[in-house]
Amino acid sequence: MAEMEVERTIERLFARAPELGDADVFAERVQRRLDRGWAARRALIGVAGLVGGVIGASQLIMSNLFSRAEAASSESARVLTSGVRQLAPQAEWLLNGPAGIEAIWLAAGLAVVAMGLVLTRIIEEI
Amino acid sequence: MSRSERHRLSSLHDVELASLAASGDRQAFGELVRRHGSAVRALLRRMGVNAAEADDLAQDAFIAAFESIADFRGEGAFGAWVKKIAARVCMRRAQKDKRLRARLEANETPETPAVVDPGRRMDLDEALRGLADAERLCVSLCYGAGLSHAEAAEALNLPLGTVKSHVKRGLDKLKARLAPEGEAMEGQRGNG
Repeated sequence: MAEMEVERTIERLFARAPELGDADVFAERVQRRLDRGWAARRALIGVAGLVGGVIGASQLIMSNLFSRAEAASSESARVLTSGVRQLAPQAEWLLNGPAGIEAIWLAAGLAVVAMGLVLTRIIEEI
Repeated sequence: MSRSERHRLSSLHDVELASLAASGDRQAFGELVRRHGSAVRALLRRMGVNAAEADDLAQDAFIAAFESIADFRGEGAFGAWVKKIAARVCMRRAQKDKRLRARLEANETPETPAVVDPGRRMDLDEALRGLADAERLCVSLCYGAGLSHAEAAEALNLPLGTVKSHVKRGLDKLKARLAPEGEAMEGQRGNG
């Protein structure tokens, strides 16, 4: 046999591997290892998320955020009340218009449907 | 996995299964393992690894293949790709496990070489048993796993010239032992 022919014959013989009797058992073993690895990874991500959450929450508490938020919210409430007072005449006009409260509910409903469509699209993209 | 799901997966091409596996479908990868598991295990055994250790290494190779399945672009055969991974996994293990390395790379001709009965077809496994361990390993890496001589030298951490001479000697011995096989194959081609 020529050198090239020998090489090709040996390559062919290597490619002609016998099918082992326990091929399915072997495949199941690999599958189990993959599943175990996947479960371990998910658990690790969960634990990491929990630890991150606890650290984040403790940081919020330590930074005295709630008392600051309370102070900010009383200030915001004051601003909001004055804003509503200025808007009240226009709101009355809207409510007393030809469509009235139904138009507002319709607009809100359409907004919810639009949000739903956007969310569905985002989920599909992911 | 349901029977219909298994049937669906078994009808898909390797490249399609690899693509599903790349998107996280472990069942699709399981089908690839079912198809190519025996070939990978046989290669490792032919390299000189014992059956139990070969199965262990083959599992590691398939796990490594799943981890890097996105790198498989379908340009070559999946079987060839995973065999290369298996050969490298085996060589990496041998770097750490001196016992395995010594067994794989011993430069000794077996005490009971395969007996050649002229006119009888000899199978590759039988013929490989007649090679020294290092020759068998180099031939298996180059012709079974599809590594180039340079890649095999790198995987074995041996000089390129040493690998080439192991391959040459191994091929010469296989040529002598497999001559009836080669003639039979030529005859089959002629008839076909």
